[in-house]
Amino acid sequence: MASDPQSAANQRIVEDLVSRLRRRQLVGSRATALETLLVLRQVVSKARFSNIDQLVNIIRSVGRRLVDAQPKEHSVGNTVRKVLHHIREEYHTANEQPAAESSFSIAKFVLQGQPRKQATIPSSESRVLLKENDPDDPDSFARVLKPVLMEAIQDVFDELETVYDNISKNAKDHIHSDEIILTLGMSKTVDSFLKAAAHYRNYTVIVAETAPSYGGREMAKSLSSAGISTFLVPDSSIYALMSRVNKVILGAHAILANGGMFATSGSLLAATAARSYSTPVVVCAGQFKLTPLWNLYHEYGALDFGDPSAVLCFDEGDLVDKVDVVNPYYDYVRPELLDVFITN
Amino acid sequence: MDDFQIYKSYQRLLKNEDLSTPLAAILALTEMMEQSNAGTMFELLTELKGAAEALSRQSLNPIGLKAGCELFIEFITLFPHDAASFSELKTELIRQGQRYAEQALAYRAKIAELAFDFIKDDSVVSSGFMFIDWHDEIDLHIQILTHSYSRVVLQTLLVAHKRKRISVFVTEARPRGMGIKTAEMLTAAGIPCTVVLDSAVAYAIDKVDFVLMGSEAVVESGGLVNAVGSNQIAIIAKAANKPFYALAESYKFHRMFPLSQYDLPSHNPGVLSFPQTMSARARPASSGLPSKASSVLSDNGSPIRITQEDIARNNPDVDYTRPDLISLVFSDVGSLTPEGVSQYLVGMFAG
Repeated sequence: MASDPQSAANQRIVEDLVSRLRRRQLVGSRATALETLLVLRQVVSKARFSNIDQLVNIIRSVGRRLVDAQPKEHSVGNTVRKVLHHIREEYHTANEQPAAESSFSIAKFVLQGQPRKQATIPSSESRVLLKENDPDDPDSFARVLKPVLMEAIQDVFDELETVYDNISKNAKDHIHSDEIILTLGMSKTVDSFLKAAAHYRNYTVIVAETAPSYGGREMAKSLSSAGISTFLVPDSSIYALMSRVNKVILGAHAILANGGMFATSGSLLAATAARSYSTPVVVCAGQFKLTPLWNLYHEYGALDFGDPSAVLCFDEGDLVDKVDVVNPYYDYVRPELLDVFITN
Repeated sequence: MDDFQIYKSYQRLLKNEDLSTPLAAILALTEMMEQSNAGTMFELLTELKGAAEALSRQSLNPIGLKAGCELFIEFITLFPHDAASFSELKTELIRQGQRYAEQALAYRAKIAELAFDFIKDDSVVSSGFMFIDWHDEIDLHIQILTHSYSRVVLQTLLVAHKRKRISVFVTEARPRGMGIKTAEMLTAAGIPCTVVLDSAVAYAIDKVDFVLMGSEAVVESGGLVNAVGSNQIAIIAKAANKPFYALAESYKFHRMFPLSQYDLPSHNPGVLSFPQTMSARARPASSGLPSKASSVLSDNGSPIRITQEDIARNNPDVDYTRPDLISLVFSDVGSLTPEGVSQYLVGMFAG
């Protein structure tokens, strides 16, 4: 199969994304999710398969390569899982067996609850029959399934495209007039959320500058250009200002299964300060950031580390040898510290 | 089948080491159905409810058994059928009950696998590379605390032992002392294991990575009903910020909402009562410390002995652990938060 030109083309686009992920030319969870989806769409459209297992295996192997390239970008894995889920779902609806009702058992009862009274719809609609492993025409399975799959992938794509709008939709229900909001880092989600609320409310945002990436400066610029009254403060004053703050709104890098999250470093500081003043902490994030992963033991090693030169420059040659410099990209924020997640 | 007989068959079934109380109750009910000559669904259900009632009346600790009975009766009520005759339906229901009991035996293995993923790896402990020198000694053993005897906990520990280095603290779990049984079985399997006093849990907790607890039942709030002492272990674990994991097969989910310890059906007026005669006699007892811990001189000089049996009679068998003290419930339907349990109960009983 490797010899055939189409799969070679697939290889190439996968490798391209792999290297961009590895070199960190591509960062940010939404950007990586989008790119992953594009690659998967290519792969599915070019792939040759004659049954569902082959297709799933192809996508899995591509997914594994991408995840291995940058394991800390959780949205890559999430997107692959989501696409796989859609593929399986489409496959199951395409060749559904009608006689599923009779096999009711106690185990099912526990798992699915009371039997639904829905009369199984007599599926008289003309459905194309899926023929797997047809020896005469090995491509027939792919030919029937592919259009459906492309549609499913397009749905995921649309969801990613509209994620900011959907999250911002109920922004005015969360932000009230004359409130003081604290945020940090540059999160497009939070940015669009705050701007959406500014149409209806008059409020103030305090942005912590978020050293050493200084994403906060960018955020403050963007917010003030949208006409929101914005203050840029150093990270060290977060605690001091917290008594005046009504709400902390944060972005996330990945939301974990136990309700904790990885977020721009500094988030833990803000969340902890908020807890001590009982200030609500709101997290805005798209569903593609929900990751089936547990960080139960709060491992520091689960974080991603960035370039130390942002903290201590090589110009300070004397010092560089004598200190260890750590520049983590993310904080792990425990679920106890977070109050609300706003998703699409 | 009369009330006495069904309890007999329930007890006979319980002799099977692998059967837990809810499953034994379900099987006892199927045995009753085999002998019943009910001609309608209504008659059958009345008989089943009577039998369930009889079972829980005769059992000292009816919580687990009730969970099984309720599940089975609810299932029978809702079973969608198109059987031609009632006897046919009845045999089908009996078959369903027996098949479930058979399937359910595999649940422990499933839970063990699920819980295993939550036991952290040695390698991960040491991967906090820059902090190695902060810990003078890095204990590579994972230390687990467990309480009393539970088949599913035992199986989980055995699975974990095969692939990770674990050592286990087991509480004695008075008054039944079932912790000793756990300790013996773990030691026989080659797992390093120490019995700690029920009163020494707070002393031991700092050495522990997490607590693994079996259960008699998981109730609708997500709380746990288990051998007495579980609650205090959960409180201590919470205070020490250690995860507290409960293991429960899904047939132990029980539709009950206890608000306090005294709402459990196992609570009776005898528990924690003050024996009238004793307190009256013992009040003016000799000043100063008694010479023996367990004997006090009464007025007329004869020693009053408080035996272990006296204490056990006056004390509860099980207690209730609040959901906010529980980190996660591992069951065959997945790893749930305590609140997640009620989702399944509502699905079954209130859909």
